[in-house]
Amino acid sequence: MVWVGLDAEVYDRQYKDRRLIKRIFSYFSPYKKYMGIVILFLTISSLTTAFVPLITSIAITNLQFNADPTYFLFLILLILVLNVLSFLFNYYRQKNAAKALGYVVLDLRKDATNSILNHDLSFFDKNPTGKIVSRINTDSREFGQMVELTIEVISSVFVMLILIFLLLTINSFLTFLMLIAIPIFFIVALSYRKLARKMTLLGQRALASVNAFAKESFSGIQIAKTFGQEQKLYDQFNMVNIQSYKVNLKRAFTLNAIFPTLGIVQGIVLAILVYYGGNFLIFNSINAGDFNMFLQSLNLLFFPLLTIASFWPQFQAGLSAAERIFSIIDTPPVVVQRNNLIPEKLKGEIEFKNLIFQYEEGKKVFDNFSLKIKPGESLAIVGHTGAGKSSLANLIARFYEFQGGDIVVDGISIRDYDLTEYRRQIGIIPQIPFLWADTVENNINYGCSSAKCEDVISALDKAGGSEWTNSLPNGLNTNVGERGSLLSMGQRQLVAFARVLLEDPSILILDEATASVDPFTETRIQDALEITMEGRTSIVIAHRLWTVRHVDRIIVLENGKIIEEGNHAELMSQKGYYATLYNTYFRHQSLQYIEEMGKT
Amino acid sequence: MAKKSDTLLETQLSEFSPGKDPFEKSRRKGVSSWILSHIFYRSNKAFILIILFTTILASILASIISVIIGLAIEEFLNANLSSLIIFTIIILTLGLITPIFRLINFMQRELLAQRLERDTRKEFYTNLLGKSQSFHDKQKIGDLMARVTDDVRMLNFLMSPAISLILESFTSLIIPLFFIIFLYPLELVLEPIIFTFLFLITLRSYNRKLSPVTGKLRMNFGMINATLNEALSGIEVVKGSTKELYELNKYLNYAEKYRDAYIEQGKIQAKYLPILYLALIITIGFTHSLILYLNGMISIGQIISYLALLGLLRFPTFISIFVFAIIKLAGSSAQRLLELMNQSTEINENPEGIKKDLEGSIVFDQVSFKYPGSDKYVLKNISFEVRPGQTVAIVGTTGSGKTTLTKLISRLYDVSEGKILVDNIDIRDYSLKSLRDQISYIEQDVFLFSFSLFDNITFGRTSVLEEVINAANQAQAHEFISDLAKGYESEIGERGVQLSGGERQRIAIARAFLSNPRLLILDDSTSAIDSNTEDKIQYAIKNILKNRTTFLITHRLSQIRWANLIIVLKNGEISAKGTHEELLKTSGEYRKIFVKKFDLNEERLIKGEI
Repeated sequence: MVWVGLDAEVYDRQYKDRRLIKRIFSYFSPYKKYMGIVILFLTISSLTTAFVPLITSIAITNLQFNADPTYFLFLILLILVLNVLSFLFNYYRQKNAAKALGYVVLDLRKDATNSILNHDLSFFDKNPTGKIVSRINTDSREFGQMVELTIEVISSVFVMLILIFLLLTINSFLTFLMLIAIPIFFIVALSYRKLARKMTLLGQRALASVNAFAKESFSGIQIAKTFGQEQKLYDQFNMVNIQSYKVNLKRAFTLNAIFPTLGIVQGIVLAILVYYGGNFLIFNSINAGDFNMFLQSLNLLFFPLLTIASFWPQFQAGLSAAERIFSIIDTPPVVVQRNNLIPEKLKGEIEFKNLIFQYEEGKKVFDNFSLKIKPGESLAIVGHTGAGKSSLANLIARFYEFQGGDIVVDGISIRDYDLTEYRRQIGIIPQIPFLWADTVENNINYGCSSAKCEDVISALDKAGGSEWTNSLPNGLNTNVGERGSLLSMGQRQLVAFARVLLEDPSILILDEATASVDPFTETRIQDALEITMEGRTSIVIAHRLWTVRHVDRIIVLENGKIIEEGNHAELMSQKGYYATLYNTYFRHQSLQYIEEMGKT
Repeated sequence: MAKKSDTLLETQLSEFSPGKDPFEKSRRKGVSSWILSHIFYRSNKAFILIILFTTILASILASIISVIIGLAIEEFLNANLSSLIIFTIIILTLGLITPIFRLINFMQRELLAQRLERDTRKEFYTNLLGKSQSFHDKQKIGDLMARVTDDVRMLNFLMSPAISLILESFTSLIIPLFFIIFLYPLELVLEPIIFTFLFLITLRSYNRKLSPVTGKLRMNFGMINATLNEALSGIEVVKGSTKELYELNKYLNYAEKYRDAYIEQGKIQAKYLPILYLALIITIGFTHSLILYLNGMISIGQIISYLALLGLLRFPTFISIFVFAIIKLAGSSAQRLLELMNQSTEINENPEGIKKDLEGSIVFDQVSFKYPGSDKYVLKNISFEVRPGQTVAIVGTTGSGKTTLTKLISRLYDVSEGKILVDNIDIRDYSLKSLRDQISYIEQDVFLFSFSLFDNITFGRTSVLEEVINAANQAQAHEFISDLAKGYESEIGERGVQLSGGERQRIAIARAFLSNPRLLILDDSTSAIDSNTEDKIQYAIKNILKNRTTFLITHRLSQIRWANLIIVLKNGEISAKGTHEELLKTSGEYRKIFVKKFDLNEERLIKGEI
């Protein structure tokens, strides 16, 4: 099988083969004991496997000359013992290999996950979650399968080598005849691979378009039903489905043709062996048992070749899977603390000093940005998309590293704090609050570690009231579903407010939702905001009319610069940028607008 | 294209329509009879015969080669030089013919497998298309997609290689027996028979031991995906709450369980006994044939052939592990497909019902609703009346039943108790198609198909461009459509244009203008604050309300303000209804919205001074 859709990622690095192998070995080194047993038993069991046909051949040969039953009894007992030993050795080999691999895969997953969790948000901006997850879980599994396969292949190659050695001692000419087939075998297999890869890619694309179309029709099923459009969907689906059938049939034909082709090679080699070997046999330069051993070995020789040829892509995929995991583990985090000062309860004074910040090289978000926020002050940031509002909030939370200047909290650069302790004192409510697929209660006391966590209800009460949770099927114990999908956007905000209230942070960062919230919940959110802002430094990325009217100070950001500053009334009277913004953006939430719309 | 007919929506769909669906019965009987009915469906039978024939032939040829080699050695030992060429040619011919039969076999089984995939996918898709809305509401798109793609594909793998390999294993077990019976003293058939017997018994217990472990493995793999996915989706919260270690441990908990299951699986697989049995049986067979030789009953060549014939048993021994894993997976995949297909459609479409042009008056009379199979009422005792052309605003928090209420009108669900009257006739007495033809629905998150904008607006209607432009104009959508490079011919979606939420909404409104329904349901509850186009959307919505009965689910105070009737829903019940002025006086909760939001004086509000 050939894997597609795994394009190079930013954190990919090309490992030199030697370094990659070394790296793989370093993961196995804690499990030397298991691997030692694997290698030892693998060698022994290969020997026993190869010697069974040899002894059989000796027995057959001796039939022509020797009729001593005890001699044959001895040979048969030997074969019996070898077979049983071979099974036992294989058993221990497989058992220990599974043990070692189980642990190695776990170690890989642990290291990769640990590394991922310590990255800053710029990493997650660049790499979609689904891809990271599949890199950690699926790639590690694929790597494991590759190692399993490698062990199998090594063991059959071992058998093959020992056989070749034994055959050489019997008749070198016949052995060479057999070996000629090997390069032919590989040429056929390799030339096939290119074709197979192309066909597989086409097949996957065709299936992907079926998938995409089906996805679309089920997403829009309701609208299709209300407008009676099922037939149109059906016709189109039928088209892509038949297309996928045709392409995948071609692919399957191509992929399957390789085995009969190789079968023909094997058939020709068999005929050649019969001809020359028969010749030797007739003229008594080889005996029957040995000749038979040549014929029977053909399968044992071709089997590993077939395995290698058909699993080569999987082997490569496994290696690149390993490479991808290592590149995840080896990517250093960008946000690194210089010191680990543990802050007392922060007062919440924040100062940006000549800050320089960019997400991407050459696209500065802030250039020489300065701003001072007093302890306990409530500050609203307004401005158009891309003005830098969220960046400001993200920098305070130390989700990103800045390139120049400094951010100072309570007189100390945020680079000098212990990151964990520092973040504990910052409460964040993102625009779309993220909830865990867990109960309402667990979502609220997530992140809280002290006894006060018990008080989920009073936190909810403060955050605009708790009785809305009564209408949930199991109250506070209701599982809110993936990302909180069971709750409305407004309710998710209320949970996020309660979560932050329990954490009792010194600095509150709130990114208001732009989506509309039903008017009943909205009034609750206003209540919650009022209480949450009290007594702490609050920075609100404001989209709500009510908020901008109630904060101490509004700053208007444009292209990373503060262009206006003051409270609502002051800024309105300036008739500047804020006033314009207000009239296009916030006006729709005002009473006048509503009355006007009602009349026209 | 769609044939416009008065029959049921679902019956238009080609060969899978109820009554004509050839697989309807077998689906009910369960997985294996369903799969079998597909395999033996009509033209597939020819493929099966060819597969059967070539498989048996390939096994016979393999046995013949084994026998021929023995004969050849016998002749060579007798120094028969002339036989050399003959045997070489025979073996070369067999060596070339066998792969050709194998090739034919591969082609046929692939053909059958791919057809199986194509046909079951079509059946599944068509079946889902015909399901009621209440069915679709319960489905997760991601899950449906997994079934349409991966589960259906498993049926392909079931045919090729799994069933083909079983067939081949079976012939590899049986055919050599016949050769042994005909060419050797009968007693030599004992060994392969004993092996086959042991093999089948062990296979059973092996599978029984293995399947719970592979189940565990699969489950824990799902869990490590889910936990990591969730942790990374919420990475801001994890970091903000400094819970990195907690999340890591949550992940490792499942990762360790996965490891344990993996090791367990390795142990069971290592103990696959048939491999040992085969080695022992071959040794015993060898001994047996030696004894017969020493007694002069068979020749050396026959010993060699006999061993080669026993060697053919290797194939079923090694392949069986792999095959059973596929069959197990395919079985549960088929189960997952049937599980959905066998659910019945709840709505009676009443094709013989009343067909008439509606006026648009609506009465909800003591309507209650609960989802089929649930005890919990989503709506309780809802009663209200709407005159033709009026606008009703429905407000309330999420989960209060707003959307469900509107879905009852277009009969996406049927009421559990009470009744809904349109023009004083119970909606269940109308033909569903006639009713739905006069109702338009503009959903929260407007969904557009990846057709052209023109097709998205006409949506099955035959309209000329002028009509479409006219509708787009009224929906305030013409302007931005004209700005697009391809105008109305622009394709929507991944490869075409991406529209904003506000733009999509106006496309949907244009669609509604064109279909000019008597009843309109407009769900405006999740639209984002889109200030640049806010005015346009408001005007578009105002336009579409004129001259038709409209239900508006909304959060916008402006829309609530202009409605003829406001219904406030709370936990599925009407907590207040009336006009804006009435509600300001009667509903404290409603009043609070205005007081809080606009910093108004509550007393003056009650008196109507503001």
